Amino acid sequence: MLRTTSSPIFSSFRGRPKTPRLIFKAFSVLLEDSPPSARRNASTNLTTLHQGPPTSAYVHLPFCRKRCHYCDFPILALGSSSVSNAPYEERQEEDDPRITNYVNLLVREINATRTCFDTNPNLKTVFFGGGTPSLVPPKLVSLVLETLSSRFGLCPDAEISMEMDPGTFGGEKLKELMGLGVNRVSLGVQAFQDELLKACGRAHGVSEVYEAIEIVKACGVENWSMDLISSLPHQTLEMWEESLRLAIESQPSHVSVYDLQVEQGTKFGNVYTPGQSPLPSETQSAEFYKTASSMLRGAGYEHYEVSSYSKEGFKCKHNLIYWKNKPFYAFGLGSASYVGGLRFSRPRRLKEYTKYVADLENGAANWCGDGNVDLKDVATDIIMLSFRTSKGLELKEFGEAFGRKVVKSICKVYEPYVESGHIVCLDDMRKEVMSDEFKKLVGNDEKKIEDHVRYLRLRDPDGFLLSNELISLAFGVISP
Amino acid sequence: MGSMYRASKTLKSSRQAAFSLLFNSVKPNRRDPLCVVGLHQAYGFSSDSKQNSREPPAIDLTQFPSEKIRNFSIIAHIDHGKSTLADRLMELTGTIKKGHGQPQYLDKLQVERERGITVKAQTATMFYENKVKDQDPSGFLLNLIDTPGHVDFSYEVSRSLSACQGALLVVDAAQGVQAQTVANFYLAFEANLTIVPVINKIDQPTADPDRVKAQLKSMFDLDTDEVLLVSAKTGLGLEHVLPAVIERIPPPPGISDSPLRMLLFDSFFNEYKGVVCYVSVVDGMLRKGDKVSFAATNQSYEVLDVGIMHPELTSTGMLLTGQVGYIVTGMRTTKEARIGDTIFRTKTTVVPLPGFKPVRHMVFSGVYPADGSDFEALTHAIEKLTCNDASVSVAKETSAALGMGFRCGFLGLLHMDVFHQRLEQEYGTQVISTIPTVPYTFEYSDGSKLQVQNPAALPSNPKYRVTASWEPTVIATIILPSEYVGAVINLCSDRRGQQLEYTFIDAQRVFLKYQLPLREIVVDFYDELKSITSGYASFDYEDAEYQKSDLVKLDILLNGQAVDALATIVHNQKAYRVGKELVEKLKNFIERQMFEVMIQAAIGSKIIARDTISAMRKNVLAKCYGGDITRKKKLLEKQKEGKKRMKRVGSVDIPHEAFQQILKVS
Repeated sequence: MLRTTSSPIFSSFRGRPKTPRLIFKAFSVLLEDSPPSARRNASTNLTTLHQGPPTSAYVHLPFCRKRCHYCDFPILALGSSSVSNAPYEERQEEDDPRITNYVNLLVREINATRTCFDTNPNLKTVFFGGGTPSLVPPKLVSLVLETLSSRFGLCPDAEISMEMDPGTFGGEKLKELMGLGVNRVSLGVQAFQDELLKACGRAHGVSEVYEAIEIVKACGVENWSMDLISSLPHQTLEMWEESLRLAIESQPSHVSVYDLQVEQGTKFGNVYTPGQSPLPSETQSAEFYKTASSMLRGAGYEHYEVSSYSKEGFKCKHNLIYWKNKPFYAFGLGSASYVGGLRFSRPRRLKEYTKYVADLENGAANWCGDGNVDLKDVATDIIMLSFRTSKGLELKEFGEAFGRKVVKSICKVYEPYVESGHIVCLDDMRKEVMSDEFKKLVGNDEKKIEDHVRYLRLRDPDGFLLSNELISLAFGVISP
Repeated sequence: MGSMYRASKTLKSSRQAAFSLLFNSVKPNRRDPLCVVGLHQAYGFSSDSKQNSREPPAIDLTQFPSEKIRNFSIIAHIDHGKSTLADRLMELTGTIKKGHGQPQYLDKLQVERERGITVKAQTATMFYENKVKDQDPSGFLLNLIDTPGHVDFSYEVSRSLSACQGALLVVDAAQGVQAQTVANFYLAFEANLTIVPVINKIDQPTADPDRVKAQLKSMFDLDTDEVLLVSAKTGLGLEHVLPAVIERIPPPPGISDSPLRMLLFDSFFNEYKGVVCYVSVVDGMLRKGDKVSFAATNQSYEVLDVGIMHPELTSTGMLLTGQVGYIVTGMRTTKEARIGDTIFRTKTTVVPLPGFKPVRHMVFSGVYPADGSDFEALTHAIEKLTCNDASVSVAKETSAALGMGFRCGFLGLLHMDVFHQRLEQEYGTQVISTIPTVPYTFEYSDGSKLQVQNPAALPSNPKYRVTASWEPTVIATIILPSEYVGAVINLCSDRRGQQLEYTFIDAQRVFLKYQLPLREIVVDFYDELKSITSGYASFDYEDAEYQKSDLVKLDILLNGQAVDALATIVHNQKAYRVGKELVEKLKNFIERQMFEVMIQAAIGSKIIARDTISAMRKNVLAKCYGGDITRKKKLLEKQKEGKKRMKRVGSVDIPHEAFQQILKVS
């Protein structure tokens, strides 16, 4: 349940971490040729990013009307009792004690989170994820934001995102949320076909989708994203193209396209096998991904991350923190934070989470790393996260942190894939280095590579489509 | 791997004796007091025994001239009761104590325990008081010389048998004559041994001794009146066995006043004593301290210790004509102890004993570390193993696909299997072994000849034309219920076999004799035979001569690049079929890659089969929700580990298993 990597969860909390110190365990290969200066200047490079204070917070609001058939997130289904045909404003969520109690617990967690850094910069991004955060009454959202603000401080221009599902909010509620500071909406549309929405157990239909889009626009939310899921059961290429077309027509500033993952223990996991009908085949599913990439790019969206597209200036700042391997807080059931080098996941069950919060208040729970990290972990994290983005892996920075020899080995391993076009190699002007040229460079010494190759990225869409394969190859270089 | 055992269970009771195993350097020599029991029972060879009953008395071998000695072995098909009978005989003579066999059983090598086989023979000396009516009882020295159970070691079997004058041919009363019974009988027959037929397990409800007697008569022309009926399990009829050995088997024929000649019929390495040689004294006598020479190696040594196996190594200070025992000479490796060699007193001139043959390796396979960086560990492990098994040949080789490794030569398939298994089990070395191959000979138009132990070494496009090629063959014996004859004949002709004999043993059972190319039985013949006969066929083979054949090299190419470790040599007529099958199998073994992979089979520059594996379409990371990357990372780590189980040829990943499994024809 708890996915921590190193520190024990209930070791005593020591207030401030000791002076950051790097552990070079099992890492001699990576560091053998790195210049001593790189190690001495460690405080400024990739290996020490995690040591700074976070300026982002993820807040988990786990409530949903019901669980979708593909979902394995830690959520709390409220059931049909709170679903009614009454207008949004008159529904019972205002008084649902489950929500109130949870938010109180969440607030306790935030309050019990002692900062452990010399400086405590204000938060620049806050992300309300779920669950369906839009089910939470605005006054409770307000309580959370106030708590965050008093605990860490909140930049006046902070990006505050909230996931909202069609059918769970009206204009008034959205206005109210905007008044509290919410300035980015992520709308969980998923599909524009009633039969597909129904088949995956969504609590809304297409008419609610159109309503929700209207509300978002009417309220003047400029920065809003639409979530779509591809490779749903019974989904055809025509349906997918229709969804993309309708998405583009509604002009969100951002689109997230997720390829359905059939997870164990979900309804889908129990009845479907990936690649087999009614799920699309691997080939069809790849076709969906390519279609999304070409249609959305054609409509002026930048494909800046494996599953994210944005209009200029509308990348999700919060998510960029993840891809840059920067630290972030997380609060709430099952949420995962990355502070002081420790990736820490909170309990996914309410009972255990409640105990965790109590332990935290008593100083008996530790969620913050002491700055010690396994460099191999950092290197593989950076590789995995960078390759998700269109920016790719910045080799100079990476070489300074982990050694030029590693950069050369990664280039060598990718040589055939540069040739096949799965990987794009760029110079410092982000001009593509052709595969013949790249081949020559890889045959050369490390310095030569450093001078001419600045970035490696996965090609859109062929490289992105095989990201697991390609990334795991680089993992093999880091820890053979 | 289809293993063709003519396996026998080990002599459990004498298992712990240091000489019992081929590969016994694993465990230090332990002395188990239980196993020396019996020495101080009165056999009339020592007058001290009453005075000091705690110390085993020195054994005085001079009490046993040739006429008081019988050397014999027990031969049988697997599971016909050879080990049990041996146990009983040793119990009967007090060589081991009843019921004390089991604890040592646990000490067996894992490989022997799993396979229920004896890799190496063991030998025991027993003392027996023969009571004949109206005569004074008379003490005999009986040497039970065990033979390795498997056909791979047929030369070793023949050497062990040549130290005997007779053999107990044990046949299961229900199963009757089986293939190994036949093979063993002929080996014994060729060695001029007196055969004492024994029908065992007569207590079984399905026992049909009369039918078995009839088979023995028709197959081997054995006199049905001379057949002993026993149950080694219940002890029924056992009392007749040793008297029959003494009465029917002649004493060893050697000449005691002639210069020393000994047959070396087995050896093993002991951590403390060095190499221990098992010998049978043919002529003359040997004393501790004597200087002896080995005819085949031309090496001389001083005899540091000499004695008998009782069943532990028991010093006697001497061995006399006709006796069987061990010598220790300070020899360092078993490579110096060639099975079948003649040992004689240094500076004397003797005629070497007949039948010595150098080791012949019939099956070759490449052995490579699964993880390329483990070459050192593999080298070390192989050195350790071969120290005790001189019959494996080892030469370094390099494969473009698999890196640095070794080409190992084996006596046969089981030998190879056992070697691989021990390498993994005892030394923890993960190995990739390549498709087994047999030694071929090719002749070119310029008259040159090439011996090929690794198909990759045969040029695909040679400078000179191949004018002739030869391959080794075997003579196979198959015994089976008659209803399966059609299927088996089809199998044998499909494997390019030539029928030599087809006889009915009785109304239900058929005896088939085939000459088959060794290559055709090397991989899956036995498995196939078992499956088409529902397990009822028994099979055995012996080496036969090379035959002229039309052989070609079949290359496997991945995206145009030949994979040396997948090359194979096949008969021209089968090349297309094998090529097609190999391509098909590889297609199943190789997972989709990021590129399209073209698989081709080629003879020289001619492509004879092809297929493609289409490129992987999608293998994409799911969203890392809320920044939780741990799960996705685990997935990637797993994927990375998966790649470690692959060998990369060009840009194609090939799973380890492909290299050894690929030739298994369904």
